Amino acid sequence: MKKVMILTVGIFLMGVFAFSTPKIVLNMVQVFTSPSRTEILQNIIDQFEALHPDVHINLISPPYSTAYQKIYLMLSTEQPLDIVEVGDWSLEGVVELGKLVNLQPYIATWDASKDIVPGLMKAVSVTGGIPYIIPNGVYAKALFYRPDVLAKYGITTPPKTMDELYADALKITNPKKNQYGFDFRGTGLPTNFIDIVTTSYLNDVDPNNMYKLTNGQLWFKDPRALEGLKMYVDFYKYTAPKDSINWGFDEQVNAFVSGTTPFLFQDPDTTGLLSTMLKPDQWMTAPLPIGPSGKVYPSYGFGGWGITTYSKHKDLAWEFIKFFTTPKIAAYFCKNYGALPVLKSVYDSDPYFNQGVFKAWQYMFDYPETYVFTSYPLNNKKWTEWNEYQQDTMQQVLLGNMTPQEALNKWYDFWKDAFSM
Amino acid sequence: MVRLLERCVLHVRKGVKSPPFFIFWMIFPVILILSIFTFYPTVNGIILAFENYSVFNFSNIHFIGLKNFTKILSDPLFWTALWNTLWWIVLSVSFQFVLGFGLALLMREPFKGRGIYAGLVFYPWALSGFAIGILWSWLLNAQFGFINDILIKLHIISEGINFLSVPSWAFFSVVLVNIWYGIPFFAIMLLAALQSIPQELYESAEIDGAGIFSKFVHVTIPYVSSTILATLLLRVIWVMNFPDVIYGMTQGGPGGTTNILATYMINIVYYKNNYSLSSAVGVFVITILMIYSVLYLQFTSKHGADEF
Repeated sequence: MKKVMILTVGIFLMGVFAFSTPKIVLNMVQVFTSPSRTEILQNIIDQFEALHPDVHINLISPPYSTAYQKIYLMLSTEQPLDIVEVGDWSLEGVVELGKLVNLQPYIATWDASKDIVPGLMKAVSVTGGIPYIIPNGVYAKALFYRPDVLAKYGITTPPKTMDELYADALKITNPKKNQYGFDFRGTGLPTNFIDIVTTSYLNDVDPNNMYKLTNGQLWFKDPRALEGLKMYVDFYKYTAPKDSINWGFDEQVNAFVSGTTPFLFQDPDTTGLLSTMLKPDQWMTAPLPIGPSGKVYPSYGFGGWGITTYSKHKDLAWEFIKFFTTPKIAAYFCKNYGALPVLKSVYDSDPYFNQGVFKAWQYMFDYPETYVFTSYPLNNKKWTEWNEYQQDTMQQVLLGNMTPQEALNKWYDFWKDAFSM
Repeated sequence: MVRLLERCVLHVRKGVKSPPFFIFWMIFPVILILSIFTFYPTVNGIILAFENYSVFNFSNIHFIGLKNFTKILSDPLFWTALWNTLWWIVLSVSFQFVLGFGLALLMREPFKGRGIYAGLVFYPWALSGFAIGILWSWLLNAQFGFINDILIKLHIISEGINFLSVPSWAFFSVVLVNIWYGIPFFAIMLLAALQSIPQELYESAEIDGAGIFSKFVHVTIPYVSSTILATLLLRVIWVMNFPDVIYGMTQGGPGGTTNILATYMINIVYYKNNYSLSSAVGVFVITILMIYSVLYLQFTSKHGADEF
């Protein structure tokens, strides 16, 4: 009897395994990993899997600090990977591996592509004008400030110019009270921060290249750039803690939350973090302060999803990317993670992105002559080297081992060589 | 494998003295493991130092001669890191040794609560170096750090000291933390050696009229000298290859002023993704350590430390 029972159960189990259809597994890797972001992505994946019961998406979440090394290795050795997240600064390098699919044929038959924010697809087509990723969020710096802290010093409105920002920051700085003004970024690749202040002294930066003027020349030898860089150094010397030479993103947020430095330049993804740490009336955003030129040059940052050339399920991977880029999912992702949506319809249909803390970005988008969104030379071979080089030389200036003029000369030589001028 | 072992056992039973076959198979597992996890990565690392191996360019890896070495030697940050490495080793190891030896001497004699005291002393050694680094970076933080807070509340200072952002303070801080972290190693090793000294030696010395200092110099030191030499040799090698504390505290900054060769090497991989350049630094480190080890062993054997 026992043998018969065992045999019956065995035949049943064999039948189950034989006739059940194995699920298709898509492997997907994210770059900007954080616990909350992983949870948001997993939620979206769950919704996709509910609509596609025969599909399972395996989300790989390496720590941000080593994410690109992992992606490079996975792609180079063709490890199972279908969907890859790539950020703007690393796009050129990843594309050069030759493992990402040209998405143009998919986009050509995708109605929603017309809904993508104007110019964004052009911006993500870094290499040879070919789109290798579909952006999942847009990032641009704005001014975050702490009204509660500033009110104690009689400051009731956010600064509109760099000079006002400097004056306000200087006014409240008092090391004895551990009170400083500007949330300085010393490390963790501070390129954006340096350039926003420095270029605000120039009124003719080429929107297609952050390091060139509209006349095609590099601006590093321009006396206005020297003034701008000096201002940036003054922010460190007189309005920021000396420790901020070592500050990356975490330390910046920490100092902002504690109120030690109530002025911070940051991307919209910081909103998700701040809303969990501060009360709504404790923080606000404002457009970036404009420089003496009457302009400021923020840049678009973006991340996006690509498909590997060796994926066995490219169409399914594309299905997921399309699903991710529907208004409902895009809005969910951006609200919870804090990115700016990539679809026009989300701004029109969801007032959340036109008010409150997002109003500052909307204002900057509405005045493109003043807030000139400018591209970095991301497709230049020396781009990744530049970020570290600029950080190192800038730290030498902050330590007093190099003058701002010497740093600008070095940067001029770097880009002259990089652009083969 | 079982048959091989049976044959080996048979050889031994037959009284065959050290058959090469037997010796080979007995040491084979060790050789295999060391080859996979130590020799192969080392040799591969040395080869990498002469190539252009970067994660950005896997498709075009080739031999480039000494270019990585010339690039490294022309980088001022390398020379800062080399100079810092020297000071990092000298200061860390000497203070760790003196303080660790002192603690071992104090704990040699039994006293009430010695177990708890020993546990507290040895505690740092049980923690991860990187975690220690992060912990101390927050303790020493100029704005929110516990140490500055205490100093301000005690009215010793009026505003926070920038422990980790002023180069001289930053290097002093990382060395101090490393000393604190490494004391238990010497304390543990030397305490074990001290406890093995026969009591009769001290009694004989006392009969001969030796005082405390004389007993220390003529009994204690000679008896533990081989342990001292071994621990110093090991510790210098470990400290040179110990980036954990620095990386946790400053990542080699500000401006590379707290870099030692080990952190400099990590930063090259982290920021440049250039494994070849990093391997070139690794070759420098191996060379320095080999020269040091040979000279150290020659020196110690010349000075009568034969047991070692």
